[in-house]
This record gives sequence, C-alpha cells and structure tokens, in this order.
Amino acid sequence: MRVLTDERRCVGADLGAWMAAGGGAGLERALADRGGIIPAIEAAGLRGLGGAGFATHRKWAAVAAQPGPGKWVICNGNEDEPGTFKDRFLLSRTPHQVIEGALVAALAVGAADIVLYINPREAAAVAVAREAVAQWEAHPLLARLAGALGEAPRLRVVTGSGLYIGGEETAAVASVMGGFPFPRLKPPFPAESGVGDAPTLVNNVETLAHAGHILAQGPEWYRGLGLGGAPGTKLFSLSGDVLRPGLHELPMGTTLRSLVFGHGGGVLAGRAFKAVFTGGPSNTLLTAADLDVPLDFDSLRARGSRLGTGAMIVVGEGTSILRKTAEYVAFFAANSCGQCPPCKIGTHQVSRILERVEAGAGRPGDLRALENLAGLLPGSGRCGLVDGAATVLASSLRTFRGEYERALGPSGQEDGQEDGQGDGQGDRLRGGGLRGGAP
Amino acid sequence: MSAPAAAHGIPHAAALAAWRGRAPAPPRALALPAPELLERFHPDRRPGAMVPLRVGASAGLPCRAELAALLQSDALVEDEDIAGAPLLDADVLVIGGGGAGCVAALTAARAGARVLLATKLRLGDSNTVMAEGGIQAAMGPEDSLQRHFEDTLRAGHFAADKALVAALVSDGPGVIRWLIQEGMGFDLAEGSDRMGGNLLRRKPGGATAARLLSYRDFTGLEMMRALREAVLLAPGITLLERHPALELLTDDRGRCAGAVLHELARGRPVLARAGATVLATGGAGRLHVAGFPTSNHYGATADGLVLAYRLGAALREVDSFQYHPTGIAWPPRMAGQLVSEAARASGAALVNGLGERFVDELDTRDVVAAAILREIAEGRGVARDGQAGVFLDTPGLERAKPGILGRSLVTLTHLAHRAGLDAAAEPFLVRPTLHYQNGGIAIGPDGWSGVPGLLCAGEVTGGLHGRNRMMGNALLELVAFGRRAGAAAAADARAERPRNIGLTHLADWRRALIAQGLPLARKAPLVFPPYGNFDMAKDRGRAA
Repeated sequence: MRVLTDERRCVGADLGAWMAAGGGAGLERALADRGGIIPAIEAAGLRGLGGAGFATHRKWAAVAAQPGPGKWVICNGNEDEPGTFKDRFLLSRTPHQVIEGALVAALAVGAADIVLYINPREAAAVAVAREAVAQWEAHPLLARLAGALGEAPRLRVVTGSGLYIGGEETAAVASVMGGFPFPRLKPPFPAESGVGDAPTLVNNVETLAHAGHILAQGPEWYRGLGLGGAPGTKLFSLSGDVLRPGLHELPMGTTLRSLVFGHGGGVLAGRAFKAVFTGGPSNTLLTAADLDVPLDFDSLRARGSRLGTGAMIVVGEGTSILRKTAEYVAFFAANSCGQCPPCKIGTHQVSRILERVEAGAGRPGDLRALENLAGLLPGSGRCGLVDGAATVLASSLRTFRGEYERALGPSGQEDGQEDGQGDGQGDRLRGGGLRGGAP
Repeated sequence: MSAPAAAHGIPHAAALAAWRGRAPAPPRALALPAPELLERFHPDRRPGAMVPLRVGASAGLPCRAELAALLQSDALVEDEDIAGAPLLDADVLVIGGGGAGCVAALTAARAGARVLLATKLRLGDSNTVMAEGGIQAAMGPEDSLQRHFEDTLRAGHFAADKALVAALVSDGPGVIRWLIQEGMGFDLAEGSDRMGGNLLRRKPGGATAARLLSYRDFTGLEMMRALREAVLLAPGITLLERHPALELLTDDRGRCAGAVLHELARGRPVLARAGATVLATGGAGRLHVAGFPTSNHYGATADGLVLAYRLGAALREVDSFQYHPTGIAWPPRMAGQLVSEAARASGAALVNGLGERFVDELDTRDVVAAAILREIAEGRGVARDGQAGVFLDTPGLERAKPGILGRSLVTLTHLAHRAGLDAAAEPFLVRPTLHYQNGGIAIGPDGWSGVPGLLCAGEVTGGLHGRNRMMGNALLELVAFGRRAGAAAAADARAERPRNIGLTHLADWRRALIAQGLPLARKAPLVFPPYGNFDMAKDRGRAA
C-alpha cells in the first residue's frame, strides 16, 4: 500500500486539492491533543528516514523538553547523494504532505520557526515548495496553530548551498544560519543548540511526511503497514541495472529480492545479480547472499550494512564494482568540506589510487595501500563522510577483490598473484583481456 | 554479393555487335516520367526494404532494414570491460581518418586544442579517396551561390535542410582556397600556365552551371594526399591508427565524453576521454543493402550511426541511399568498383544491349541508376558470365575527344587495365553500385548533433543531400563541415575534464530495447564487414 506516493496525494502546490484529498486531518488531531503527538509518534515507531534510523520521538521529546520560545524545525531536503531521489519527489509532487508533517512537529516541540531546507539544484522542488508555503499563509489552520503556539509560525523555504555535506544535521543548521555548511562535533546536538544556539529539530523530508498520516490514522495503522515487525512504508530509490528503476514505496521490511526482482522487474537483460550499493552509497554492499534480508533498519544493521536513504543501486553482471566504487569515492572526496585533515586528505588519496587502478595505471602496492586506508580512516572526521567512503571501499575490496586484481594486472600485485583467482568473478571476462597495467 | 537484377539479357557478343553497328545518337527520351521510373526501379522503393525504427530518438522514422537491425542492437562493450583500461586525454577526439576527420582534426588543432585522431584502419583509408569526379564550388563568373543552393536542393528532391545547404554552398569558394593552401592540386583550364590561370570547371550531373573542380579523375585521392601530409605534420594531433571506436562515453551530465576504442594491435580496450567528440566515421556501403555490391572502402560499416543513435542523436533520411550508376559489373572480382562520373561528365554515353542510349547520362544519379536497372530488368541489358549491366561507351568518348582517356581519365584507364580490357577499344560493362548514404545523423550548421559534446561531419551526417546527393557535393561537404565541426569542437572543449565517464547510457538503451521486445543478442557496431571474419570477443581475448 502506498501512503506518501499515493496518486490522490500528488496534488502539487494546490492546498485546496490537498485538503480535499484528506489533508489537514493530521494537523487537526495534533491541535486537538497536543500532548498526544509525541506518544503517537513513539507508538508508531517512526524513525529517521534520511538514513540514520534514529527514533523520531526521542528527537522530538528532546527538543520539546528544552525551554522555549525561539525553537526551530528544519525539514531537511538537502538530498544530494548519488542514487537518491525521494525527497525531490515529495517536495515537488506532494509538498503539503511534508509541510503538514513539519507543522505537526512544530506543534509537538513548540517551535514557531519552520524551515523547508531544500537543495537549490532541485529547482522544481524549490519552486513548488515556495508556492505551497505561500498558500498556507492565508489558511485558517495556520491561525489556529498560532493560537496554540502563542505566536504566529514563520514558515519559509531556505535553499542551502547545494553541497552534499549540507545534509548533515549540524551542517544544515549552519547553512540555515547563512554560513558555509561545516559540520561540527556533537554533542551538543541541535536539539539542545541549533540555529542561533536555540533548540532545533532536524528531520528528513520523508520522516516528516509520515507524521500527519500517523496522527490522522493512528499508530496501529502505521505499524500495520510494515512487514515482520518493522513499521510503516519506505521510499526506495531504485536505480542501476534493473528493468524498472524509479521510486518504489514499499512496506518497511520488504526483502531485497522482492524489491529487485519483483518491483524492479529483475536485473536488466536477465543477467546475474552482483550487488547493491545502499544508502549514501556509503554502506557495506549487499550481495546475492543478502537477497532475502528484509530491508529495514535493524535487519540490515544485523547484516553489517545499513538501509541509509533507501537508495538501492543495483549492479548486475557486466557492470564493474571497481568503477562504481571509484565513482562514489570520488564523489565523497569532492564533497569533503576539508575541516578534518584525515577526511580531506584520506578521501582524496583513496580516490586518486582508485582512479589510477581504474585507468590501468595501478602500481604495485596500490591494493595494500587501499586496504590500509580503509582500516585507518573510519572515525577520523567530525561527521560520517569519511566513514562512508571507507566503508564502501572496504566492502568492495572484501567482496570483489578479483576485480581490483584484474585491473591491476600481474605487475600491479606485489605477491605476483595470477589473474582470475579470488572470487571467481573473472571467469566470464574473456581471460583477463582487461588488464591495463601490463607492460 | 550479386545484385538482385536478373542476369539475363542480351549476350555480350551480340550486344557488342549492336554497339559497333550504331552511330552515336541522342538518348531516347525516357518512356517513363522520372518519378514513375524511380518508383518502379529504384532499389530504395522496393516493398519491405524499409522498416520503422522502434527505439531511440528517431523512433518511427523509416529506415533500411539492414541498418535498423544494427541501430537497434546491444553494445559490444560492458562497463566491466573498461575497468583497468588505459585512459588517454584530449580536448577533442576525432573518430575517423577520412577526409572529414582529417579536416576536423586539423582545424581543431590549429585552434589550439589537443586532438586525438582515432581511425579504424589507417589514416586515409576512406571513401574520400574513392571520390573521383571532383568537388563542387560556385566559382565561375556565370555561377552563383544561389544556383548551387538551388541545384543541390532540387537534386535532393527538396528534402535537404536549407540551413545546412546554405552553409555548404557559402563555404564552397573558401574551401577551395583552403585546399589550395594545403597543397592540393586542381586541373587548370586551357591557357593556364605555371604563372597563373583559371581552375578547370565542368558541369556535374544535375547542375545548371559548370561548377565541378577536379584533379584528373582521382580528386579525392589528391585531396587525401594533401590532408594526410598536413595531419602527420601537425604537432597538436596524436594519431591512433587501427583503433576502431566501439562505444561512446558519457559523463555524469549525459554529455558525450569520448569513446571506448579497441586497440587492434594488442586486442584491448583503450578509453579516449575528451571535452568534445567529432564523429567522422563515414558511410555504410559495406552493409551491402539490398544485396548490392559497393564502391565503398572496407571500413564503411555504419559504426558512427550506431554509436550516435545509441547515445540519443536523431537520424534523418536513413531510408535513402545512393546507387552510383556506373559500378563495374564485369569482371566479377571487381564488381562494385567505381567508374568515375567524370567519364559521363566528359561525354561518355550509356548504351544498352541493343546499342541504344536510353537516358540522359547527366541526369541525377538516382534517375540514371534507376534507368540502368530498368534496362536490365526488362531484358535490354548486357549479360556476361552471369553478370548483367549496360555499356559505358568509353571508345565513343575517346573517338570524340582523342587522348582524353590517357590524359584525364587516368583511374578509368587503370581500372580497364586491371579488368583486362582496352577502354579505348571496348566499352565497360557497368551497373549501379551502392555508393553513398544520403541520410545520417541530424546536425546543425556547426556540426552539432542533438547530444551535448558530440559533433558530426561528413558522410555520417544527414540533411545536406536530401534524398539524392549531387556529384561533387560530398568532397565539398567533408571539408566545409569538417572545418565547422573542428572549430566548434575546439571552442567547446572545456578546460574542465569530463568527470565520471562511463557507459551509463547503455542501461536506458537496454531498457528501451526490452520494452520493444527487441533482441539483445545482436551486438553492434559491426566494425568490419561479416566476410572479414572478425570476432570482437575473440580479439579481446588475444590480450591475455
């Protein structure tokens, strides 16, 4: 069952149409029983759908517990990760769903400043959100919210820097304050000290979009949407070598097999399934052995990976894991803010080595250097960027080492290991014709 | 590779007797009006010859079935194949070592770009060197750009893109000046000497003025000689011979970012990354559409059309090919090779098995070719050793203009020698041969395809010739648009190198093929004709 992407709710910026489609009911309920909001969110088991999977009610309760006024709600729509395209869909197709959720959150935590923080590269999302916000200004529900909050809520759209790093919550705070999106050390968390040192709630667009529905239809309904104990639905940004890529809203806990082979139509051209890059793509690769893992926060964590943003980049036979990894690490290197030397230099160094291995110019020792860096880098930055780069590198090295060895050729390997050994992936590859480093 | 024309007709000996018995006469008026003649006898009009394209930017466009099969096929390379492949960098990548490619490379290099010139065979192995007749440019005092414009449009049955034709004819005089500066020789008119004179001009088929400039009857070869020298001496050009392109690369913005080349010497892929790419891969004669022999060189396998179409470029008039009226019909080992139109431009007649002229030899190529096919189909052709054709009356030409065969139709005389006959004594047996791809990739006046970063020049493009190309416009096109594309590419090649190059367009392409129920088993480009027995998968394994 689709909730967020239900066709009837995709009304664009038209507030009247949103109300006609059942919109506003969640906010009505919230206004009627303000103290019941956070318990309802807790009962529903809503978690941060931007990637962290942190329990939403705990964030809300933390901000609500802070003394007001002057609190903020940031609806985080900075989305810039490769392969993720859910927030731009929600903001451009059904913005009122997001705004209503943000207003529910504002009511729950007692914040009058509500910011839709959107990546400026998503021009359509920005334009639709601006128009949607303008329509709320005159709506009576907003006046009732003002009554409850004790001051008129200030709802606005802020376009950030467009940089990937701006999606990190402390960076989002810095960005909303007009600065460069430098992440900072936590604690203090934004819930204690955010915009202008005021308590600030930062939630992802998809997370907030669920809030109104939970209030309107109850936590039991929401829990019932998921599978195997996981609550609710999840937007999966499916891309790569599948027949039907695109945004799929499925029950939380749907298996990877069902997503790829059922909803995705299978691996393109009937080829063998190799792996999936999830989330950032900054997580451990899912392989054929993980096809029956339910896609929810806890099941994936138990397998040593993460759900992340719900981006699932499918790699089929014929597509190089090495090239994909090099592309993503290059993305992280280019998007390191440069504050923390290990991240700035480390991601750059990994990217440089991967690029030369990929271009057939790898050197002896490159493989060992990559492994050393993958072990050395995690945990060395203020935010998780360097961890993501190291995780995806380590995972691809562990699972698809043969691809690295083939690209390096015999001269690139210190121990003189022959081609084709390793994971057996090389059998199809025409006897190692891809060797570039050979003299 | 026999033409579908039946090999019955009047036996060679009887036809020779008929030809000897008749005095030269004006051509019999066409018994059929030209449109009906084309409708009934032109190979492109045969039912079932064309199919609508089902995927890609030009879905719905009618296309030669043989070509459509290649256009709608899967790629030869996988993403995995290019992991670990050596990477070469350039501002401008030019694919194709014929005339258009050389001109584009020279122009881009002289504008300051670092140029990679990749060619499937060797530099100069191309259809350019096959062009014998000459090059059109409105240079005469009685001629004008307007007349050249109108002649070209009319010959193309008004299907050409007027902006492109305007660009073509306007560049004409400048192109000739440029070629002379590059060191190309031209025939001079009577009375010229070493101190100066005028270019010799002749009237090409379908033209209203004497506009065809030539160098003997190997104009294209002479042009290629000059271009080849210039390319080899240009410091800014890195030449990659025997490096066919297998697939174009895209960057993360969907821009064309170079190509995957296959290094034939070592059997391995090489990536050429470039800010702008010029496709100058020429034509498709070696597809032997409709079973025709071809005048084209060994590499003319439509590779450029396949690559550009897969990347999203639109095509036009891919249902229109040119069959040159006078390909050699006998001896069979030389079937398809071209007897220059210069012979007819100089006055050689076409004669059927009854010794009659049957068409105005200077009519447009499609009409003349259809008229020959009609003579053969209706039993008035000449039959020899299972081959059918009509006579090209070279002895009659030699009688009318003594010495012309030895002086200016050098290639023709050489061909006759190879065929074992004396062109001054015995007529050639000729029949239409697959000669030129009239359509191709749709471009703008600067050579831009619809795909960012991708330009095209030469025979691979469409829009200049409509549905029939005039003699002499191909050589003009390749220089004019080679220069335009080369200059535009150099100006556009960003200082910033393309990032994240790859083959991401293939996934979308495969989805489109699957959605249409088209098979993924067929791989393209062809690279070499089927009888070349070249297997890419095997060749790639050679590097191991």
